[in-house]
Amino acid sequence: MKLMHCPLNGWRNIQEFTHGGEVVAEPDPNRCSDAEWAEFVFMEENKAGMVREWWCHTATAYWFIAERDTVKDEIIRTYDAGEVFKERIEFTRPEPPKEA
Amino acid sequence: MTLAPKDRTRRSFLYRELESAGAVFDELNGAAAAMSYGADAEAEAAQARSLGLCDLSALPRTGFKGWNMSAWLKAQGAEMSEASNIVTPQADGTRIARLAPGEALLLGNYRGHGPLIEKADSAWSMQEADGCFQVPRAETNFWLALSGSHVPALFAKICAVDLRPESFATHSVAQTNVARLNAIIIRADTGEVPQFDLLSDIASAVYLWRALLDAMAEFGGKPVGLAALQELN
Repeated sequence: MKLMHCPLNGWRNIQEFTHGGEVVAEPDPNRCSDAEWAEFVFMEENKAGMVREWWCHTATAYWFIAERDTVKDEIIRTYDAGEVFKERIEFTRPEPPKEA
Repeated sequence: MTLAPKDRTRRSFLYRELESAGAVFDELNGAAAAMSYGADAEAEAAQARSLGLCDLSALPRTGFKGWNMSAWLKAQGAEMSEASNIVTPQADGTRIARLAPGEALLLGNYRGHGPLIEKADSAWSMQEADGCFQVPRAETNFWLALSGSHVPALFAKICAVDLRPESFATHSVAQTNVARLNAIIIRADTGEVPQFDLLSDIASAVYLWRALLDAMAEFGGKPVGLAALQELN
């Protein structure tokens, strides 16, 4: 059984975890083009080598970040998402278009 | 005539299983709790020291989560560890398990007392408690206790975390997989007889009850009543 280190709960069987896709910067939804948003939502880089991904410990619904080498199939490091996302992200409504 | 679970509005999620195992019920917190299984008290206490499975669904419990959980609960008089996965016993008998920086689980004692739980539940409201949300554990989680010297060997069959007393200290919490279900395990004893609390989703209560009894059979494990567990503590 492969093991993964959960930053909250310690070493656990890999079966307890769910993969959540690559960690990528979110474009500003109010300003980016549809193509940029589609790239963010749907596309994966699927790189061979070092990747940074979201993982979830299912038993606690705890999301964290893992750095993995997809060529060697090794988990290099796992850490709390707070190390990357230090500030709360607020979502604002886009301003309505001005009337002519 | 003894009390039947159907005489009360609140019932254990396992009441049919308890009835068919021969439980004798008594009222606790407005619910019918399985206090014993008809054997003499001494034999049942001996069973609890060897390997016993006890339904605690009638006992008080609740939970809170959110970025402001810790500050809000402390304002209600709670004491809590800063580290996650540790239980802090309170002066009134309630135990608070810190599940994460932003989540706590509150458990009453085995006699059905937990004044802090009642206090926090009635003090909480969506409008007043900014950044702290109620997790209604009494309605969403069933609660079992496993007691006896064979418990670590039993857990070795159904759970990958090392729960032997030498590696899983008193007041430790493990949130993991038990018999393929997500569950919270808490070491509850303070010494002689190993004892663990187990909480999981109510939808799987009957499955886990049966799976545990099946796994316990080789060690001679059986259901024990709440009276036997109170005797241990």
